Amino acid sequence: MKNNIKKFSTREIILNILPLVSIILFIFMWILASGEGKIIPAPADVIERGERLLEKPINNITLAGHIWASMKRVLSGLALACIFGIPFGLLIGWNKRCCDFLKPIFELIRPVPALAWIPLMTLWFGIGESSKIALIFIGTLMPVVVNTYSGVRLIPRLNIDVARAFGATEFQIVKEIVLPCSLSAIMAGVKTAMGTAWIVVLAAEMISANSGLGFMIIRGSDVADLSLVILAMIIIGVIGAVLSWLLTLAERKLCPWKEEIN
Amino acid sequence: MKKNVKVQVNNLCKSFGDLKVIEDCSFQIKEGEFVCVVGPTGCGKTTFLNVLSNLLEPTSGEVLIDGEKASPRKHNLSFIFQEPSSLPWLTVEKNIAYGLKAKNKDKKYIQEQTEKILDLMGLQKYRKAYPAELSTSSEQKIVIGRAFAVNPDLLLMDEPYGQMDVKTRFYLEDEVIRMWKELQKTIIFITHNIEEAVYMAERVLILSNKPAKVKDEVVIDLPHPRRVDDPRFIEIRNYITEQIKWW
Repeated sequence: MKNNIKKFSTREIILNILPLVSIILFIFMWILASGEGKIIPAPADVIERGERLLEKPINNITLAGHIWASMKRVLSGLALACIFGIPFGLLIGWNKRCCDFLKPIFELIRPVPALAWIPLMTLWFGIGESSKIALIFIGTLMPVVVNTYSGVRLIPRLNIDVARAFGATEFQIVKEIVLPCSLSAIMAGVKTAMGTAWIVVLAAEMISANSGLGFMIIRGSDVADLSLVILAMIIIGVIGAVLSWLLTLAERKLCPWKEEIN
Repeated sequence: MKKNVKVQVNNLCKSFGDLKVIEDCSFQIKEGEFVCVVGPTGCGKTTFLNVLSNLLEPTSGEVLIDGEKASPRKHNLSFIFQEPSSLPWLTVEKNIAYGLKAKNKDKKYIQEQTEKILDLMGLQKYRKAYPAELSTSSEQKIVIGRAFAVNPDLLLMDEPYGQMDVKTRFYLEDEVIRMWKELQKTIIFITHNIEEAVYMAERVLILSNKPAKVKDEVVIDLPHPRRVDDPRFIEIRNYITEQIKWW
């Protein structure tokens, strides 16, 4: 019995330190791969570059400023996509006629990558913030709509019949049955959209911008400052992980009846 | 007490294309009466109930409740489905309040009714739980509670215990009988289980094979709680079985 407890706790310990081990191992391999005469900057160089950036901002914008610039674009685009995409998905998922009418157009626009819109967006909105946000909006609208739509299509018939039997109106059914029922599918769509948003924002910033993480990468590339590039990449990775974790938290809060999430 | 006619069904027919499912059904149900409808499997019992509750339009004929054409908007209809139909994203108390909310009752009334039903069904301690956290029989109790909470003119039950084991079934049957006596509601309960019908109902309507017609009706004058081994019980059960004979 005693032995059992010991075994179990060892297992626990291993499970707890495994993530740490994997990160340490990764850094160790990174150190091995970098060094004198190699083309990869060492972790120490990257950290040092980060410190230097805090003292001497690029383009007169601090590191936090660059992060915020990208973040603001991502969040605005994504928020717009949710505001328009979720009701649109609900509409074509719920209403057969709207679906027949609107879905074909949507299916034609959907396969066009967001980046293909760059020339048009630049022409319409210029090279400022609005064109980047519009680009992110287009890129993230698709996953939000598609997931909302399929979430609605997959609602068990029985849940709707319950509402009908109690004499609920169409509006009540959409608000009280359809929306909560498809919420976890919608959240999955928002998570996917978040990934797409980062892809799009970086591309947009690499093409034309004077702030943001994508701008940092392209600046590093222009002046052969690879430490800066890697620094930006790490920041993007961390932010992505944190945002996805936040979304999972939000999902747990919004859909507490779903047990399998954790 | 049980003099008024609550439900009047006149020459009800329902077809899907060429398929006649219900043919010329006429019967009455009095206020506060507990009626079971039995019939061979696949004879159209569910269609019958769906037409009664107006989830489906009848092809011809009419269903009147209190002399008016039945409609889920006008009348307080409650429906208990074959499958457990609690709403998984709502807690027990919100599930019970759901029907009242759909009918736009005022907040205070919803709260009072919900409390009353939670007490009656013994669900108080689970009020904040989600249906998935409860057993099948408790989940079905939520559904029964929700159906009674709206104070229904007519409660329609569609083989709600078809898939359940014997113990759970008897337990939930007793729960429904208890609620029915307590709240004096009119109930139509559909089942293919003859014993269940004889155990619960005051009157049993026997449907024929497809297209379904009311073939016969049997008044069961035994007091509740009934004993399944009572000779009179067995006699009635055998009579109904004889009438159905779908094998």
